[in-house]
Amino acid sequence: MPDLLETPDVLIRMQADLQRALEKLHQERRWVMVLDLRKCVGCHACTVACVAENKLPPGVVYRPVLEEEFGSYPNVTRRFLPRPCMQCENPPCVPVCPVHATYTNEEGVVVMDYEQCIGCRYCITACPYAARTFDFGRTYTEATAEANGLIVGRSQAEVYERAANFEYGVAHERRGGEESPIGNARKCHFCLHRLSAGMLPACTTTCIGRATLFGDANDPDSLVAELIARPNATRLKEELGTHPRVYYLL
Amino acid sequence: MTLKRLAYVVCLLALAAGAWGLYDRLTYGHQNAAYGSYVVWGLWVAMYLFFAGIAAGSFMLATLDLLFHVPVMRGTGRLALWVALVSLAAAMLSIWLDLGHMERVWKLYLQGAPGSVMAQMVWGYSVFGLLSLVCLILAVARPDGILLRILMIIGLPISLFISGAVGALLGVEASRLFWHVGLLPVQFPVFSVASGVAALLVAIGLFGPRQDPRRAEQLRLLGLATIVLAVVKLYFLWADFSQSTYGNVPQNVDAVNAVLYGPYWWAFWILQLLLGSIIPIIVLLPARLGRSGLVAGAMGVLVLVGFAAARANIVFPALTVPELEALTTAFTGPHLTFDYYPSPMEWAVTAGIAGAAILGFLIGQDWLPLRSKEVA
Repeated sequence: MPDLLETPDVLIRMQADLQRALEKLHQERRWVMVLDLRKCVGCHACTVACVAENKLPPGVVYRPVLEEEFGSYPNVTRRFLPRPCMQCENPPCVPVCPVHATYTNEEGVVVMDYEQCIGCRYCITACPYAARTFDFGRTYTEATAEANGLIVGRSQAEVYERAANFEYGVAHERRGGEESPIGNARKCHFCLHRLSAGMLPACTTTCIGRATLFGDANDPDSLVAELIARPNATRLKEELGTHPRVYYLL
Repeated sequence: MTLKRLAYVVCLLALAAGAWGLYDRLTYGHQNAAYGSYVVWGLWVAMYLFFAGIAAGSFMLATLDLLFHVPVMRGTGRLALWVALVSLAAAMLSIWLDLGHMERVWKLYLQGAPGSVMAQMVWGYSVFGLLSLVCLILAVARPDGILLRILMIIGLPISLFISGAVGALLGVEASRLFWHVGLLPVQFPVFSVASGVAALLVAIGLFGPRQDPRRAEQLRLLGLATIVLAVVKLYFLWADFSQSTYGNVPQNVDAVNAVLYGPYWWAFWILQLLLGSIIPIIVLLPARLGRSGLVAGAMGVLVLVGFAAARANIVFPALTVPELEALTTAFTGPHLTFDYYPSPMEWAVTAGIAGAAILGFLIGQDWLPLRSKEVA
């Protein structure tokens, strides 16, 4: 029986995998996410981490966790299915975009050019995984009361809400107008801004059950390359020919 | 009060509502819209399909007079072109207001993606609009000129293309089985002709010159066309829904059920089927009624109401079916719902656009030389 205290955390291994991948050329990397459904406990920490990392406003979500209940008493079970963007190799959202605002970058991640997007939402309708949401420009502090004194009220909280996020390595402030990404389709991008800084995606580092695993599938020594070769690895809606880069371990 | 005056008053009221809606839209963006990230397209997209269909269909009908010189349709060409232009303007306004970034619409022209059906459609509509305008000018200035005929010949396939492209816009989406029907781009031109015929029924029946000796026969012909097209339309519906139901693919069946028995059941059974198809078929069948301006015009209005509901019934139900079963409860927040009913702001904007379109039509009819000399 392996000594669990002696076995390094998979985060350590994934961090090492990431460092090796970052030494390669962009086009030689193939980012892949593996979600081990047997380990997911449905804590939603990944969802919250993603919201915090990308400063997602109300109504925008990149990575919900779907909860399903099966069977009847006494044989009942629940399944938790995190659903990031599948980063399809053949993404249905890309060819429909009328202005080239969404495309697959050289690392195989489907990205958004917020300044190019006209907000037609065609890409949202085209995604078979509902992985895109529209930014309606809402804030968590809207319609909340002003408070003076020691209570942190709207004016204080709003400072945080208006502060920039750093998706795609660009500061996107919410200054209260209609500036992008307000009025745009938004989606998970595997935290490219973190990867470029040598950090794993926020959902991966936050996962308490180590159910979210990430790495370069082109590296045969990486954890994800090992996992996606297993017979219990599957992908959502494979019949659509989208070839997702997100795998589920059943 | 004459019918036309009543129409003017209704249009002005609709414009007032539209002004409030427009203020809300421009001040608060999309925040007060009921569509969201799941039901992504709402009333404005449905109305875009509706008005765009009338525009393409009206142009096709204009060719009967200006290109093919069908005797009974003589004198209707300019009117049909004007209907096409005001409908197209309403369609473009409707879809423009739906954009998240209206100010970036120029990108569609200068940085557009040729492979995107939406881009192709926008380019097609732009060419179509310019062509219709030039055709109308020529139809007034040089009705017998060769240039008008050439442009009408060019315009006919373009009008077919743009109406088919609307079907293709939805049809290419394999993720929505309800839309992913190969025949959708074929059906839409038929819908366009049918809605163009209905619009002309209204234009000639309710507001056309009563002294025109051909008016009764024109209405009769358009009425019969309405009946035939309504039957074809019903057949399309039956084919679509029965195949979906027999096929028994859950996502498809759910969408069909949403149309038939869901929250929009009344829009299908009452507006689309009863008012938009069955009553017009019954009323327009007898020749006496079919030749009556008031009756034929009223039936045209009903058919158009049915078409508006039909467009909504194509757009909304497909989007109300979750792509993944548990998505409905996975994450909550504003605009994350699979239920959709247009918000007051959306209704107001649509009312304003419809009012502006009808007002444009009436003003054109009163002030532009849309009638041929012998009729005028």
